[in-house]
Amino acid sequence: MTVTVEPSIFSIVNYDANEIAEVANEMLKLLGMGSKNLTIEVDETVAMSRVIATAGDPIVVHVLSSAFENLKSPLSFSADNARLSLGRGLLRVRDRQSGNFDDAPLDDALSIVESAVWETYCVGRLVKLGLKVHKQRWHYNFRNRHGFNDATDRQFEQIWNADNLDWSQLMEISRNCAT
Amino acid sequence: MADPFKARNPFAPWDRRELPGMFDVEETARRVGHYKWAEMKLFEVLGGWIATVPEIDVKLRLGTHCYKHAWHSELWHKRLPELREMNPDRLTVPPNDAMIRFIAAFTEPEAPEMTIEKLVGAYRVFIPHFISAYTFHLNNTSQITDGPTIRSLKFILQDEFEDWRDGEMLIQSLLTTPAEVKRASEHQARLEILLIEAGGIAGPGTIGSAYAE
Amino acid sequence: MRKFFPVSDLARDERFNQVTNEERMADPRGSGNTGVIRKARSTNRLTPSRPDATDAARNLMHGIMVGEIQALEGAGRTCFDFVTGEEAPFALKLDMARQCWDEARHVEISVKLSEWMGTELGQFVENTVLFAAACSQDPVMRLAGVNRALEGLAIDVFTTMKEFGEIAGDPYLAFCEDWMLADEVTHVKMGSDWLRKITENDPERRKKALEFQTVVDKLFSYGGLRSESDESPILLARRFRELAGFTDSEITEIADVSLAALNERREALERTLAPSPA
Repeated sequence: MTVTVEPSIFSIVNYDANEIAEVANEMLKLLGMGSKNLTIEVDETVAMSRVIATAGDPIVVHVLSSAFENLKSPLSFSADNARLSLGRGLLRVRDRQSGNFDDAPLDDALSIVESAVWETYCVGRLVKLGLKVHKQRWHYNFRNRHGFNDATDRQFEQIWNADNLDWSQLMEISRNCAT
Repeated sequence: MADPFKARNPFAPWDRRELPGMFDVEETARRVGHYKWAEMKLFEVLGGWIATVPEIDVKLRLGTHCYKHAWHSELWHKRLPELREMNPDRLTVPPNDAMIRFIAAFTEPEAPEMTIEKLVGAYRVFIPHFISAYTFHLNNTSQITDGPTIRSLKFILQDEFEDWRDGEMLIQSLLTTPAEVKRASEHQARLEILLIEAGGIAGPGTIGSAYAE
Repeated sequence: MRKFFPVSDLARDERFNQVTNEERMADPRGSGNTGVIRKARSTNRLTPSRPDATDAARNLMHGIMVGEIQALEGAGRTCFDFVTGEEAPFALKLDMARQCWDEARHVEISVKLSEWMGTELGQFVENTVLFAAACSQDPVMRLAGVNRALEGLAIDVFTTMKEFGEIAGDPYLAFCEDWMLADEVTHVKMGSDWLRKITENDPERRKKALEFQTVVDKLFSYGGLRSESDESPILLARRFRELAGFTDSEITEIADVSLAALNERREALERTLAPSPA
């Protein structure tokens, strides 16, 4: 197992590649992916939080700098945010490698609704693994993409509490939000 | 249907208001001028303290209460010309130098660690003194001739009671050790002594005398 | 308590971390998660259709909340810092006290909305630029910098957020922004009226105040955050600005300043993205 972080030295944000690699190793083990090789590409020129993960060998996780940032203290690193961002990306890769998500578009082709559904599924599972998460943030994101109503809230809870769904089931639940 | 032309008493049986009152127009204007001055000082200081307190709930209450006291001062400002004082600034004054010293001591706390002192000054000293001054005025002025002052006093007293309760609850939430209780009571005593020296918000006789002549 | 309270001493609890505008502007990545100038998009307007809409809206709401706290503090200081009658009219102070109450309510609303959107107090950094604009020793400058420039920006921000809530179908967001917008229009009008009244016979003082407003307008347009271009997350709200007492030429001037800030940011980004010479 090898974890590579690019760039190895940061010039805009105050991140340490070794610290990122440590967090990445921790997450790979936590997710049962300890044998995988991983490359993390950090775009430090953009203060946004997007995470795009690509399955392969190595797995490539491309993140915008705020995905690892302590938003209270700009430009500085937050291990908690890094865990959550890497966890979301790696879980999507693990889902894809399970064979149950073959119909899912690539990360950068996911619609905002598809993305919200899958994020909910990933973050819900990360909570069960012990990560610190503010559930309401993800609930609000889900509502923004599906509507502010009781049906949406019920479907959110179903996805949040699940740990064995496939892509078609996720999409079916998402469609049910409109009813 | 009752005969609309049948003579009725101007004062209904349940209306027991009386003409006599303790204050003439001049005395009422004097008191109202002191009230206005004191309410102004209070709203200005509450406004100034907002930036100095770290506790967010206290910050928000100070902001809300700042406006209420500004409104009280506006009510008194508008009442003064109705009391024959065409230059309201002439009567917008402290009753004496002791009151100025009280305001100086009341205003003094600034450090972020001094929220207890700020709140004690406002809610355990200044506002209780407003409540007593206004209550005395309300209960002793002519219930008929001074109707407009009474109306303002009633509005204002409602605010004062609510604000006093808000402030007292904030103070109680901040007093968690014997040392903090001591701090609060020492500051209260210091300010109370100054306000006694001033004779109250409107000077000596603010709440009359409770002693037999 | 001192007259004139420095921005560096603003009191906050342990959850908050403050930075100055200079520190914020020193971040070469731009103005944070509100997502200014992303080249790949056809529009940067903050709408639910943006992929990062939820987080950008949360970030902006937190910015609104700390901005309201500072507006509350600034209005409170104007009540205290100036001698009534000599340095500031009594009626102006009454308006500032009223603004304190309004801003306190806005903080309460913003806190509730932040919780609704899944944001914790102090989760994002606090830029103290707003209170800095409220530190002038001339009350007229404060009216220009805070009531006209800053509260003017608030009109633009609340209009954008109200539309965001309406499009997303978020009942709380649209409802609350509508109420706050009504208050902000009042505050800007208050500033416009007082500025004209106090400087009626002092054209030099009025000129200085309006120049200060332009500086603050530019600061608040930093990085193209607000303009009439689709590239800015926040739209300049012409209609509500008219209601608040801005003249057509004043609105056009703010639009020009905002566009200039957007262009500066665009050029800076192009320089950053340009390949380095070998």
